Amino acid sequence: MSAAVDSLARLRKNIGTERASSVPATEVATRLETMHTEGIAAFAEIGLPSRREERWKGTNLSALGAMDFARIGTGTAAPNASVVDSLQSVDADLLFVDGRMVRASADRAALPEGTRVLSLFEASLEAPQLVAANLGCLADSKTDALVALNGALFEDVAVIELAPNAKPDRALRIVSYSTSLTGAEGTASASFPRLLVVAGEGAEASVLFENEVKGEAPGYTGLVSEFLLSANARVEFIESQSGPSKRIHVTQTFARVERDAHFDSHIFTLGEGLVRNELSVDLQGPAATTRMHGFFLGSGSAHHDHFTTVDHAAPHCSSDQEYRGVLGDKSAGVFRGRVIVRPGAPKTDARQSNPNILLSDSASIDTKPQLEIYADDIKASHGSTIGQLDTEALFFLRARGIGESDARLLMTRGFAQTIVDGVGDEAARVLIGERVDAALSSLQSSASSMRPGSSPRRDSA
Amino acid sequence: MSVSPLVSIKNLHATAGETPILQGIDLEIGAGEIHAIMGPNGSGKSTLSNVLVGKPGYEVTQGEVSFRGENLVEMDPEIRAREGVFLAFQYPVEIPGVANNYFLRTAVNAIREHRGDEDLDAIDFLNLLKEKMKLVEMPEDMMGRAINEGFSGGEKKRNEILQMLLLEPSFCILDETDSGLDIDALRIVANGVNQMRSSDRAMLVITHYQRLLDYIVPDYVHVLSNGRIVKSGDKSLALELEAKGYGWIDGIDDDAAGVKNGAASAGAPS
Repeated sequence: MSAAVDSLARLRKNIGTERASSVPATEVATRLETMHTEGIAAFAEIGLPSRREERWKGTNLSALGAMDFARIGTGTAAPNASVVDSLQSVDADLLFVDGRMVRASADRAALPEGTRVLSLFEASLEAPQLVAANLGCLADSKTDALVALNGALFEDVAVIELAPNAKPDRALRIVSYSTSLTGAEGTASASFPRLLVVAGEGAEASVLFENEVKGEAPGYTGLVSEFLLSANARVEFIESQSGPSKRIHVTQTFARVERDAHFDSHIFTLGEGLVRNELSVDLQGPAATTRMHGFFLGSGSAHHDHFTTVDHAAPHCSSDQEYRGVLGDKSAGVFRGRVIVRPGAPKTDARQSNPNILLSDSASIDTKPQLEIYADDIKASHGSTIGQLDTEALFFLRARGIGESDARLLMTRGFAQTIVDGVGDEAARVLIGERVDAALSSLQSSASSMRPGSSPRRDSA
Repeated sequence: MSVSPLVSIKNLHATAGETPILQGIDLEIGAGEIHAIMGPNGSGKSTLSNVLVGKPGYEVTQGEVSFRGENLVEMDPEIRAREGVFLAFQYPVEIPGVANNYFLRTAVNAIREHRGDEDLDAIDFLNLLKEKMKLVEMPEDMMGRAINEGFSGGEKKRNEILQMLLLEPSFCILDETDSGLDIDALRIVANGVNQMRSSDRAMLVITHYQRLLDYIVPDYVHVLSNGRIVKSGDKSLALELEAKGYGWIDGIDDDAAGVKNGAASAGAPS
């Protein structure tokens, strides 16, 4: 285990008992205690992921090991008051700062019966069984160091409970701020937000989770989300993140999808930080379906890594993965998409696609699909492309009077639009669309010397 | 006439890639005139249109093109467009993800800005767009779709004419706009083009077939062969070509422009 993370765990060693004693329900307290103990032990055993591991080949986390977390507060320290004050205008059902709930919206009370958006404390009062039975049931601390780290150190949880057939008429919105405001040079902050969504039979909802960062100092955010979808449930998860260059952000999302249920994931990664997005979907019941979509836009020296796994364990399931990357400046992208089709999963339909556009000569993408198929009578396709913008289309736009940089922006936006348009919730779609536009505009204005060049292309099939 | 022509092409030589295609074109097009260019495959018709709009990959090696007295060759493609040069493409590209209406408004405003006019806001633009769409009989739902994506051949060509109607260029080049059109689509496209006829606007209509010229009646017809204009006449020349082919024209080799070219430079080592 690296010295820095060791010190982080040591400094926060009381978190487990603190958070367990802060919840009123015994069964929840017991669950939290166990997760803490197991997390600490597993992390000590496994240590930080290294590039020697196949699944970490594309991404180097040594910057995390090198961070000095010495100034981290303990679990009882209040979140930075000035940050909380500055977030008065943020309109969210739950607002988290550094992994702790600091405010809930008044609107939350108006949600229809059967839809609950709760903090850990509230959930242990209102739905202790739900938390005790489900928290940590998909995210496995024992085999994954970063899940273990979150399990050991998280301080609060956003809990969403959808009763059978609950259908809230608006997206449930959670905003999570991580502060990188530590004063002294060289120090770092860490936050460990966590989300649990349990959807009963036939429930339908959209969940928007926005990750934001305040400040430019180094830091680490490790988010773990778990989604449990009962039969016929439909849950859309829209996640956005955008961080400064010294921030490391790891998102680990796990979903279990039962018969005829649909899990719809859309992740948007903007900014300059080091980002690892893991998504693991288990299609457990017959005719379960998932859409796994992502758009990432790298600028500066960003490193955006997407690591997906979809496990087809039942017949007639389908998965549709599409991750689109635009990489400018010196940014790097990584995509690893793993598709498993088990012997008991005939009539599987698995599609995977990873098209990328490189806007500069110094940007790069490393993309690799991985298919493990053990069933007959299935359909599976995958492909990845790497290219510059289409020169014919670029010329067409210029021939209509649109300047070259505007034409490039229009086309890059068009490339992203397909993913933005896939977001089902209209308000979320508009919000995300505006952010993607703004990020594209600022990237474009910083990259004026792009060459039109030919389109090197690599297809794998 | 003492008035200088809108477009003046003098001794124009150009290459496509490394290959010399245009071998000395001389052509003057006055405001209010429609010129048709016909000629066998490979004679340089499309190269001429591409050179006039500044497509990358085409290079002017000799001669000049002036547009309203300005050197066109020196201008970037977007500047030519803003100055009023427009090419209706033979093969319009599809651009996924870019909505037609958003693109059109961006283009219209780029040109308005160049002319010193205020940007059109969304409402004013929509009204203008609806008015022009009627002229080319395009259904409104096509505007929200990505540029040319899933459009039929005829719809793509109508979309080109729609762009021309919106941008109101003063020099319109139509590159085989009739190719792939059935008779109804041809009538619609020609109607759109005829809407644009005016005393201050010039048109260059490139086509293989006389058929289009029944709808868009030219003032002059030129025959292009081996990168040169080998014959010019009035609209009756197009009818004559339709009846007799190209073989009778002096300086043309009907089906093998390259052979003729070789013969002309017979002194060169082979």
